[in-house]
Parts: sequence; structure tokens; C-alpha cells
Amino acid sequence: MGNKENSQQIKFISTSGVYKTPFTMIMIIQFFVGSFLIIFVNLWYWNSLYFYIFDDIMFPLPILNDIVSKWIIFLLIPLNIYGNIFLFVFSIIAFSSLIYKLLNFLNPPKEGVFEKQSKEWKYMHRRFWTAYFPIWLARALPIPWADIFAYRFFGTKVGKNVVLYEGYVDPLFVEIGDFTMTSLNICIFSHLIYHDKVLIRKVRIGSACVVGPHTVTSPGTVMHDGAILGANSYTWIDQELDSDLIHVGTPATLKLPIQSVEESQMKVEKVKKGGDDVDEVTKMESEIK
Amino acid sequence: MFQPASLKGESPVVIDERIRNRFLLIYLFIIAFSFIPVAILEYLYVRYLWNPNIYLIFFILAPVNIFLMLHVLQISAILISKMCLIIVNLFHKPIQGEFARNIKDKDYFYWNLRNIIKKWPLFITASNPFPWVKNRFVLRFFGVKIGKHSICDNCWISSEFIEIGENVIIGMNSVLISFGIEQEKFIIKKVIIGNNVVIGAKCVVLPGTTIKDAAKLSAHSYTSYDTILEKEQIYLGHPAKIKTNE
Repeated sequence: MGNKENSQQIKFISTSGVYKTPFTMIMIIQFFVGSFLIIFVNLWYWNSLYFYIFDDIMFPLPILNDIVSKWIIFLLIPLNIYGNIFLFVFSIIAFSSLIYKLLNFLNPPKEGVFEKQSKEWKYMHRRFWTAYFPIWLARALPIPWADIFAYRFFGTKVGKNVVLYEGYVDPLFVEIGDFTMTSLNICIFSHLIYHDKVLIRKVRIGSACVVGPHTVTSPGTVMHDGAILGANSYTWIDQELDSDLIHVGTPATLKLPIQSVEESQMKVEKVKKGGDDVDEVTKMESEIK
Repeated sequence: MFQPASLKGESPVVIDERIRNRFLLIYLFIIAFSFIPVAILEYLYVRYLWNPNIYLIFFILAPVNIFLMLHVLQISAILISKMCLIIVNLFHKPIQGEFARNIKDKDYFYWNLRNIIKKWPLFITASNPFPWVKNRFVLRFFGVKIGKHSICDNCWISSEFIEIGENVIIGMNSVLISFGIEQEKFIIKKVIIGNNVVIGAKCVVLPGTTIKDAAKLSAHSYTSYDTILEKEQIYLGHPAKIKTNE
């Protein structure tokens, strides 16, 4: 498990680097497994449509035309097109989550610091590449919660009513609570490359948190309930963000209280006027710090 | 990894609208001609496999057909735009330097023209499911030097005047640009990145930067024009400075 001493030696935040391995060709397998179900649905559908138009059977197949009234099949064309897309994506999600569980069974995921050639890092890659294509597809769907659905399939704990569709989020070792909102263009990393080593730590984001736009959440970050990470800032490794406070900075060091617009405007007016009230404001802020 | 749909865009290019409108025909020409090999493939597929006797083969090979179609389209788009690029470079060779941001300036004009030509292949390969296709395959084709085993899949890289060494890791959402617009000036300068360099997430590397071997740029920082990052040092901040032990 993660040592606290290890994290203090780290001098810079890099990035998650997942490189190309032969295992990435699993995407081609996923593609053909996903299209397997669609083939049979389309065989039946286009055969029935052909029968309706030409009163003739295209393929020697049993058809359901006598049961379903004919004009319904004509109306089903848009549903067929959309149905193909959804069937393709969800069958791939189901198939690759099975592979993902198999990989987890072969090598259970661990936290800690690993060498680049170690077995854990290799399996990390395999897990990532199995999860890559389904999540990529789910994000291309018109429904915004499709990728949250996919993340849950891969074992990430995502609470209810979560906004999470615009950022790089690792599927492993990430916990997100209820009612949390993540903003645009964010990175939530649970692993980080440092020189020749790889650091894997769990990221915990509590409920009712806000992760601001353009932020980087490093591995080991713990955001307590109601914490807010301000725009354009990043957290250091193993940093804890206290609840019900706004955290800003690169890395996040400044803490600000959450206040309503009226409150903050009142304070600004007091500061502009000057006088004794200024001390009260600074007292309040120092208490929170 | 796990690229959101809105960040799937092509490399950062700002094409002048006055030049774009004038050369829209070239853009449409590249799009139209890149579809010709796809049309031939589809014709052959339907012509020879749409047969009641072997209908099962038609349906079973349909995913293979779609998979091939996408990749044939992308490869033909790259080849045609490369051909156009060679012809345009015969008229005017791309050079570095400071120019005026004006249509009458030859370098600014041809820079825009080159970007119009490169736009379609970069746009279409950005939506390829394989993440390395856009940066590693296409940019190498357009003349950007990218070394072996470099990870640069989820960042935006300009399509010319960039050199990347071996074993480089470039973070997510990072931007490497070799051009800058400063009011009335237009600047093109080469960005050189050595071997074993690590660039963190969300960094911005501005034109003229040279990063020497094994230097590290921490996440969320940017380099200003013409900075040199020394060997095996850690850089951090806005703009990036050497990190010292306090």
C-alpha cells in the first residue's frame, strides 16, 4: 500500500502514459463480437422489408410477416438504424466487461509503486485497452449518461446524479460520490508515471463535490464531502481537500470559504469603506484557515 | 485514454477566413477524390456478394466491409492531401521566421493554404477508434519527426516544424504549437523535444522551445517563446522555471 513518505519525495506531476501494446488489437475482436448480434437482427429485418415491397422472399428464411402487420416494419426503419447503434455499443460493453473481470481475476489490481516492466503494469495496460473502446463508443452516443453506465460496468464506483462526461477519467481505483459535478476538460488520474516507476493510488471524490474546469486530480487525492476544486488548478499526490471549502492554486494550497453572492458583495463594500469591519473579515478567513 | 467526444478534434490550426473562402474548392476536391477508392470497394462488394445463394456471406462480411471502408477512406485522404502538399511546396517552401499577418505576405498565405490541405485527413483520422493513428501515423506522413516508443496520442501537435525524440511521454490535453500570432506579427519557429522527455498533463509548449534530453515539465505549466529547458532538470510554473529545493 502507499507510503506517505514516498509521496513527499515526488517533485513533479507528470501524466498517465499508456502505450501501444500487442494487446490493443483486442479492439478488432471487440468490433467483430459487437457486430455479431446485429447481423442476425438485420437478416430478419431486411428480409421482412423485402417481402413487404416485392411480395417475394429474398432469403430462404422463416419470416414473421403474418404476425406483424406490414406497415409497422416500414415505420421501423429509423428504429432499426438507431437500434443497430445501441445494440452494437451495449453488446461490446457487456462483452468487454467480461474480459475485464477475467483480467481482474488473473491479476487482482493493487495500489503502490511498480517498475515499468512489472506484471502489475502489464495487466494495467490490458485492463485499460479492454475498457478503451467501449467507453470511446459510449461517449459517441447521443445520451450523456451512457459512459457512466459503461464505467459502472467496469467496476468504477459512481454515485447517482453525477455529471461526468467531459474528461479523462481512469476506470480503476476511482470513487465518485452522489450529486458530484465534474466540469469540462478535466483529468482524474489514478496512476502516474514517475521516472522509471509507476505510481497507483486510489482517488476518492466524496458526495456533492465540484471539480472545476481544466483541473488535474492526481492519484491519492481525497476530496471530502462538499469540497470544491477551483478552475485551472491541480492537486498534489495524496492531498486531502477539506469539506465545504473552495481550493484553488497550482498545486491547490489556497482555501476560501463558500459564500453566497450577497455575502461576498457585502464584504467587498465593507473593505471599500474601510474602518473596523476590515479586521472582522480577515479574522473570519484566518479562522477557516 | 478515454478521450471525451468534444476533445477529439484535429491539430490546432487557425485558418484565415479570407484565404479559406478562396480555396474552398481545393478542400472539396480533396474530400471528393478521397471517396473514389471507397466507391470502387463498395461497388465490388455489392456487385459480387449481393446474391441470394450466398446471402449469409454478405451479412457476415458486412462488419469487415465497414471496417475496411473507414480505413480506406482515411488512407486515401492522407495520400491525396500529401500529393497536393508536394505540389504546393514546389511553389513555396515552408521556412521559419517572423512574418507579417497579412494576406499579401507570401509565407502567411502559403501557411494557411497548407493547413487547408491538411484539414480533412486530420479531421477524419481524429475519429478513428485507434488513438495513435492521428498523431503518430498521419503527422509522420506529413513530415513531423516522432521517435520510436513515444506516447503522444491524447495531445494536440502542430503538423509542421516539430521534432520529437524517442521514449517521450506527452501528457493528456497538452498542446505543442509551432506558430504564434502576436498582433500584426506571425511567427513560425521550430519546437525540438529531445529523448526521454516527460511533459505533464495540460502543458502548453510555445514556438521556439527546445527541451533537452530527459528534462521534465510538470503538469499544468507553459513555456514562453524561445525558452530552453536544460538536461535532466525539472521545470514548473507559469511560465516554466527550474524547480529548486527550498
